Amino acid sequence: MNIHEYQAKKILAQNGISVPNGKIAYTPSEAKRVALELTSRGPWVLKAQIQSGARENGHFISHEAGHKGGIRLVTQISNITYEANQMLNNVLVTEQTGPKGKLVSKIYIETFAKTLRTFYAGIVIDSAISSITLLISKEVNKDIINLSTSDYTKILRVNLFPQENISAIQTERVADFLDLDKTYHAPLAEFLNKMLSTFINLDAKMIEINPVGVTKEKEFIALDAKISIDDNALYRHKDIARLKDDYEEDEKVLKAKKYDFQYNEFDGNVGCIVNGDGLALEAMDMLKNYGYSTACTLNVKGGVDKDKIATGIKIIMTNPRVEGILINILGGFLRCNLVADGILAATQEIGLTMPMIVRLEGTNKNEAKNILKDSGLAITFAESTEEAIKTLAAKLEANN
Amino acid sequence: MSILANKNTRVLVQGITGTQASFHSKKSLDYGTKIVAGTTLHKNLDKHIGIPVYSSVADAVKEHEIDASIMFVPAPMVKNAMKEAIEAELKLVVTIANGVPVHDMLEIKSMLKGSKTMMIGPNTPGLITPEEARLGIFPENIHQKGCIGVISRSSTLTYEAVLETNRTGLGQSTVIGLGDDMIVGTDYRGIIKRFMEDTETKALVLIGKTDSLYEQTAAEYYSGLKNKKPIIAFIAGEAMPFSHIMGYAGDIITRGRITVQDKKKMLQNVGMTVVDNITQIHEVLNELDLVP
Repeated sequence: MNIHEYQAKKILAQNGISVPNGKIAYTPSEAKRVALELTSRGPWVLKAQIQSGARENGHFISHEAGHKGGIRLVTQISNITYEANQMLNNVLVTEQTGPKGKLVSKIYIETFAKTLRTFYAGIVIDSAISSITLLISKEVNKDIINLSTSDYTKILRVNLFPQENISAIQTERVADFLDLDKTYHAPLAEFLNKMLSTFINLDAKMIEINPVGVTKEKEFIALDAKISIDDNALYRHKDIARLKDDYEEDEKVLKAKKYDFQYNEFDGNVGCIVNGDGLALEAMDMLKNYGYSTACTLNVKGGVDKDKIATGIKIIMTNPRVEGILINILGGFLRCNLVADGILAATQEIGLTMPMIVRLEGTNKNEAKNILKDSGLAITFAESTEEAIKTLAAKLEANN
Repeated sequence: MSILANKNTRVLVQGITGTQASFHSKKSLDYGTKIVAGTTLHKNLDKHIGIPVYSSVADAVKEHEIDASIMFVPAPMVKNAMKEAIEAELKLVVTIANGVPVHDMLEIKSMLKGSKTMMIGPNTPGLITPEEARLGIFPENIHQKGCIGVISRSSTLTYEAVLETNRTGLGQSTVIGLGDDMIVGTDYRGIIKRFMEDTETKALVLIGKTDSLYEQTAAEYYSGLKNKKPIIAFIAGEAMPFSHIMGYAGDIITRGRITVQDKKKMLQNVGMTVVDNITQIHEVLNELDLVP
């Protein structure tokens, strides 16, 4: 689960990490009021609260929002209302949001923090060695994934241990990498330890402070913050689970989540219903081998019953890209006849206007086959994934 | 022969009174699995589905010789249950739970280091030695006794791999799901090692997927082996756009971007036969002319 910058900063502050003073605003007049509450004299920084990096270099779709990006420096209080009005309720597009962009419904207003220099600090999990890894770079405001693949040497990687503080040797390595002299070692170690304890306390999968600002007083300040928390651990962080912003998610993804399904969209034209990640990957790969690609995958996970399958079909059918449907469900305890009943229930309710190929493996397979055959609907039963995809490809070909 | 579990393996079921645990324990008993004890949080219970139950692993090992555990406890309780199993020095634990917090797995991994316990999972269908022992939730009706070892990082594709070996008539010596999660107890290496030592296993089928770097370590390990049995490998996820696998950002940043094509090449370079389509596995197996 991802949270907004202002929420992440609040959490960092609670864990003893310095952040600029800031407040959230939903309207232009509120923006002016909170700006004055923060400080009577600017400058202020206005930051669009959407869950995306690269906001500064983004652009708003509407002309009314002006040509500036999602992060704006304002020096005169009289301009706050004007800038806030441009940003609020307009759609911001960044290189991470995709062309659709995201609607800015709130902005975070901060006092401008004067810093001498900035750097990147992140903590992630390296699954290959089951370790927590600290990442440091002098390059700021860049996508760390792109940076790591384009110039590997620009990132320092330090393995940390959950139960221990960062060692003096590790601190020195980080300081040297950043060209910070000895006088910075103590505050740097303190800052990094607080980052690590936040990471542990929160069950985080990733914390990025990009950039960290270093002040004249040798204080380390989080100028931006991104925190991603392990969904599987949210049960022990009820206060954080409440921060989830449903507006950040696609409507169909949310609907799928209600049923504990996992829904993903791509740019092809085949909709797939499967009961496992592996089957979704297999279907995508095989469709590609036959010259087709996937519009969406819906993983109904584990056990499947009539209602689950009917709901799944309805979610898939409402995706306008879908021109053909593949249902591939495997499992020894799966009662195939119930899946067949679900398929009928959904197609009787919303109709079937496109080819549908079904492959089921489990008990009562022949019963399921007969149910689908007797329905008179244009549903084909296949014995293997490959046969299913071959048949579907042939039908799509014929339709074109 | 087989690896890790056979008809003589004495099995404990951790969390035996749960609905799923009861259902699958009964199936496993019917299959011939030697389940000797169970643990439960329920107080004042002596027996469940005919099996003696205890309130802790420590209590169970006082009364029974136990080689392995099937763990059915829910995800939030896995860390403590693993601690119990490791302290009791159980040789093998198969953890079925889906959704174990990744920070718990980090702790479990450090507990496992230097211990006598091998952990399979979490988020796995488990382990099955056909006609002998079923430690998990595998459908028992699809497996056939034979000479192919199956290791998979994808639960559902394990079934596909098993069906492929059935098509050749070669069957399976042991089938193991390593677990679908970002961090699993045991990676390919530990399992490949045992299959190489097992006289009954003639060849292996390895199923990998797009995320994580376990396939890379498998390749490195296999290349260093002196006596190699053939491995037929399939890696799922070639068509998955990169932007959709960002959940593993940590790996990408720390280890660089490794695509499915890269993984396939790595496995091919060390002498494994890599198929582009999972349904080609039986063809390659047939070409090997194996005698079970």
